[in-house]
Amino acid sequence: MRLPRFFPKKRGNRRTGSQVWGSFAEGVFYGVLLAAGIVFGLLLVTGTAKYAPADPDTVVLQRGYEWWMWLLTLLIPVALVAFGGSGLARVVQVWGKSLEHRAAASRPAILDGLASVVSDQASHPSVPLCENLENSPGTVLRYRLPLESPENWSLVGYGVFALLWNAFVVVLAVSAGADLMGGTTDWLLIALLVPFAAVGIGGVAMLVRSVILATSVGPTQIEISDHPLLPGATYDVLLGQGGASLFRSIDMVLEMEESATFRQGTDTRTQRLVVYRQPLGNWRRVQPVPGGNFGARVSVTIPGDSMHSFASDNNAVLWRIVVKATPDRWPGFTRVFPVVVFPSPVGGTGGAPVTEEGE
Amino acid sequence: MGEAEIGSTPDNPRGRPWNRPVTLPRVEWRFGHPGRRYQPTEWLTVDYAITGLEEERLRAFERSIVWYTEGKGEEDMGVHFFERFVTPGTFAGAVPEGSFAVQLPASPSSYEGVIVKIRWCVRVRVFFESGRDHVAEQVFTVGDVPPTMPP
Repeated sequence: MRLPRFFPKKRGNRRTGSQVWGSFAEGVFYGVLLAAGIVFGLLLVTGTAKYAPADPDTVVLQRGYEWWMWLLTLLIPVALVAFGGSGLARVVQVWGKSLEHRAAASRPAILDGLASVVSDQASHPSVPLCENLENSPGTVLRYRLPLESPENWSLVGYGVFALLWNAFVVVLAVSAGADLMGGTTDWLLIALLVPFAAVGIGGVAMLVRSVILATSVGPTQIEISDHPLLPGATYDVLLGQGGASLFRSIDMVLEMEESATFRQGTDTRTQRLVVYRQPLGNWRRVQPVPGGNFGARVSVTIPGDSMHSFASDNNAVLWRIVVKATPDRWPGFTRVFPVVVFPSPVGGTGGAPVTEEGE
Repeated sequence: MGEAEIGSTPDNPRGRPWNRPVTLPRVEWRFGHPGRRYQPTEWLTVDYAITGLEEERLRAFERSIVWYTEGKGEEDMGVHFFERFVTPGTFAGAVPEGSFAVQLPASPSSYEGVIVKIRWCVRVRVFFESGRDHVAEQVFTVGDVPPTMPP
């Protein structure tokens, strides 16, 4: 057996590396965790060592904790034992199995020595589920698509940041105030408090701005005549944009985006790249009807040779309708409406396989 | 017959510690469709012939049809078909020659994207009693999706 290499080579686009050594190292890691948990737990259970100087040949063991503290400290070794034990069991379970065998073993239809085709849960394996996209009927067209707006996540992010940061600032301020009331002045604490308070005020300002932006421009709605989408088919799309103010521009596009998640050192990163973009409509100087919506109905045709929607653990091909709008008095915003494109229906299910001349 | 595509797992280097040259197995493939291009839900038939197995006794044999991803992201893999032969009695129909027919699923299609690529392949893996194993695979295409270019 070859010794492990710390810098494995790449063979084409496929990574090489010893599975045996990898599994061995993984097993050692989990084994060490398990052993540490057991030893740590035994030490806690049996008590602490006590050395009597008058009798250097004797070491007395006794419990050094209250019962609740003893129970609390047992959480760490129990977690180590659970994590290490489950990991070690998983390593033993997959030891010596090929990648295909491991992947197949995770599916109940696969049994050793039996020929079987994996029966996927859905008729379209690896295509994202679309139930969540079809559970809201439209007012004019068949479905109203759900919104997946990055602005909503920004709003949540600003809110969490403002809450946590200002809670920290309040703790600092209370401490500084208590010092002042006690007659002492901690200048270092006060010097720290000033920039921290400025950041906290900035966080609140960003949160308020985001809330105003989210509520002032009005909701965006997309309705579609059918779903899931099929390559080569044409669908009606209805755009509805609420709001009382003027929009300098509203653009609607159909996009296909590739998404790849990879590890870089200890970080996990995701790269996204739009590889197809089809303009569906653009409108200038739009003024929604007071108390109503701006509405526009367009047609969208999915190209016949398009890739269908695809999603696996680390890779994805996703379709979506994107609305980009620029209000007259507010910053522009982007709202995303995911859709699912199925593969083209192909009549290739003939029962008898035919062997033709191969290459 | 298609040209063999042979792989040796990293645990089983070509140089042997006992200074004995080992003949690597070779696999020849014959697909039911010229060009190895299939449509989703179509039946795939493949014949294979493995040579170079005379020097060692087999411990197990696996054949499978899988898709896997390539590109910028971590590799994902899906197994559509998997067979494992672990007893000598079952080797007869599978080694050194064998064939199988499998109906392909409706998805995923083969895809040549910019940062995401999806490939389908037929793969055989031979396990020897010495602990060595060898893997060979042949890529085929499912669907007619053209390569993608960034806009």
